Amino acid sequence: MISHRDSNTQRIAALDERAEALKLKRGMGIADARAMHPSIDVVEADAEADRRLLEGLADWCDRYTPLVAIDAEDGLFLDITGCAHLFGGERAMQDEILTRFFQQGFDVRAGLASTPGAAWAAARFHGDRIIAGGEEEALLAPLPLSALRIAPETRASLESVGLRTAGAVMAAPRAPLARRFGATLLLRLDQALGRLDEAVSPRLPVAPLSVERHLAEPVMLTDDIERLVSRLAVALKTDLERRGEGARTLALLLFRVDGAVSRIAVGTSRPMREPRLIQKLFHERLTALEQNIDAGFGFDLVRLSVLSVAAFDMAQGDLTGETEDDDADIALFADRVRARLGEAAVLKPVVVESHLPERAVKSVPFAEAPQRRAPATDRTAPPRTAPPMTIYPPERPVRLFRSPEPIEVPATEIPEGPPMNFRWRRALYRVARAEGPERIAAEWWRQPPGEEEAPTHDYYRIEDSEGRRYWLYRQGLYSTAPQAAPPRWFMHGVFA
Amino acid sequence: MAMNAVARDTVFALRRQIAKIEGTLPERLEAPARGAPGAIPGKVQSGAAGPGMAPDITIVRRGLAVASADAFLHTGIERLDAALGGGLPKAALSEIHGLETRDAGAVAGFALSLVSLILKEKRGLPILWVGTAEIFHEAGLPYARGLHALFGIEPEQLLFSEAPKLLDALWIAEEAARMTAFAAVILEIRGSPQRLDLTATRRLHARAQNAGRPVLLLRQAGAADPTAAPLRLIVSAAPAASRETVAGPLAGSIGRPAFTVDIGKSRTALPGQFTLEWNPNEHAFAERTEVPVAVVPASGRGADPAPASGAVLAFPALAAPAAGDQPPRQQHPAHRSPRRAG
Repeated sequence: MISHRDSNTQRIAALDERAEALKLKRGMGIADARAMHPSIDVVEADAEADRRLLEGLADWCDRYTPLVAIDAEDGLFLDITGCAHLFGGERAMQDEILTRFFQQGFDVRAGLASTPGAAWAAARFHGDRIIAGGEEEALLAPLPLSALRIAPETRASLESVGLRTAGAVMAAPRAPLARRFGATLLLRLDQALGRLDEAVSPRLPVAPLSVERHLAEPVMLTDDIERLVSRLAVALKTDLERRGEGARTLALLLFRVDGAVSRIAVGTSRPMREPRLIQKLFHERLTALEQNIDAGFGFDLVRLSVLSVAAFDMAQGDLTGETEDDDADIALFADRVRARLGEAAVLKPVVVESHLPERAVKSVPFAEAPQRRAPATDRTAPPRTAPPMTIYPPERPVRLFRSPEPIEVPATEIPEGPPMNFRWRRALYRVARAEGPERIAAEWWRQPPGEEEAPTHDYYRIEDSEGRRYWLYRQGLYSTAPQAAPPRWFMHGVFA
Repeated sequence: MAMNAVARDTVFALRRQIAKIEGTLPERLEAPARGAPGAIPGKVQSGAAGPGMAPDITIVRRGLAVASADAFLHTGIERLDAALGGGLPKAALSEIHGLETRDAGAVAGFALSLVSLILKEKRGLPILWVGTAEIFHEAGLPYARGLHALFGIEPEQLLFSEAPKLLDALWIAEEAARMTAFAAVILEIRGSPQRLDLTATRRLHARAQNAGRPVLLLRQAGAADPTAAPLRLIVSAAPAASRETVAGPLAGSIGRPAFTVDIGKSRTALPGQFTLEWNPNEHAFAERTEVPVAVVPASGRGADPAPASGAVLAFPALAAPAAGDQPPRQQHPAHRSPRRAG
């Protein structure tokens, strides 16, 4: 028995057959129930866990149709348009779904109709019934108002004026109904009767292409799964070729015998349709996930879907059948690393127009980076990254710390000058030579108005007594104000 | 007698097989002493000797495959090239060590200057820099703006890969080392992890050999562990020279990057120390013979060695005091690191 808290009272939210046999009812107070039967077992309701279970079931239902939607707390919509014949017709399909749910230990009711509203009502008020197209009105007419999926307040007010069945509402004139009870009522009615289209919004985007294989004997080994992937990819290739497209995102769905579904996605940085390469990517992904995929008693359905596509540019191969394309090699390499180690495993620096050293270069994942252009043959235009023509372009370090590290500077020769020595990571460094300062101010045009201006950074190139070169900066200026804290120093990078 | 000859043939055939499998293992033999001090490494360029020093050294390669001159990357420093037996091997794993993490700037700078030399031939090819999260956190990320200014490496040519664990970094490097699409692969690791053993480095080396591309293994704050890399250079920062202006050196300024390079291990080279300066304008090395600050500690033989007999000639600072004053090889100064095996 499951309890839930409703307006400060613990009430029964759900109960099993044995509890029902004891004449307990849903909505009864827990205190009353305990008084009747002190030995009952009460569990607190966990909406989050219920939701997870429902999502798990929705995942499992993916095997019947890609269009699965979650309805409220306890329902699933399956849009089986065009799928029924794969399972031997509507009746056979519904029987199979019910049987398999029953085997998994669920108490499920199903309704099948040509509109979501009618199917909803059929599942809840008839149980296991298939409504042919056009029969919706006959189905709905004798049912109570709650079969119309309307808010409880609307239902109560409809009942107060004597409209107690859906049939009565259908018979009533429409205009006064709309005026009095709002447009939702008529909308729901029209949707249930098929006068208006209602879209079942699937919880997952529908893949443009997918291929699957049902297995009589469940597979467990990663090798077998990879082999299946390459076979499915071969089937996928023809479809992609017909559409002139390549896959950008691929997902592999593994349906376990006992209902759990593993979803494995890989992204590619350029459109791909070659089965060998697709298999390679999934090989890396499966290797990385080996610990996380629990095969249990095996997978009985394997599906490979293409989640997003892009136009595929055909390349002319040479007579040996191989194309010399370094960029493609690198893209494949990056994809494999990405499949194994995550999105940010291969980064590409992108130069940003900014004078702040930490903003001037941005690392972006390889797939999102602009494509590398071919090496420029004409050198007439100056490269964008070239520093402005000054006598001494500002020197930049070869390594930059992710976040500047604070250092202790006990003394400077003159207040605004370079340090004489400094302590960094607990070691003392003696400054032999220093160049600077190079003053870099914050970007005031990025500051929110009204905020205090960020302190300037005075950068110094420092060479210590052993010849190592560092890039330090002083944040702010020395102030003559009596309570002013001395400026702080930071290590920002190292030079070659 | 006949049996002996057959046996010897078999041994030779086996040796050839081994050489085929293991790759060429060139070894250096010194020519019979001619009584000249020139054969002592590190003192080769003693001013008067000039370029005629190379014939002193014979490089013997066993096996069938003989490396062509094209197999080496010439550093542009004759003395270093000669000491390395031709230069840095192009199709191999090369180790570049920094003794402390704070040398990371110098180590990265030296590796990048080698990459810059490689890119002179392989213009436009990208380079991949693989590192563990630890090293990028400790030593900082390579900064594309600085690399472009110093080494002429365009930001579009760079690819970074940060691996959470060493095993992942090794995997990425191995996968990249077998590709010919990269001009060079740099693998950067901190410390002496156990996973980076002979097997792992041999795999890297073999792939680099097959692909014909260099793999540079940067190891910060690591001990000289046995690895399969044929060459290990130990790099530290050297004080830079002052900036050159029209009016002469600018006092107190910090000029071009300078490195002190030790040959830590090499099958063909003998230990030696070099001070190199990188010219960011021409993308070339220059050797510095006159150092503004002493990098080499004073000689162990006393602060004031006895003057050599004979005429006093104006030799550069690092040159040998005199021909007869050379210590025998066994008493070589301790600061020259000995050749390490393995």
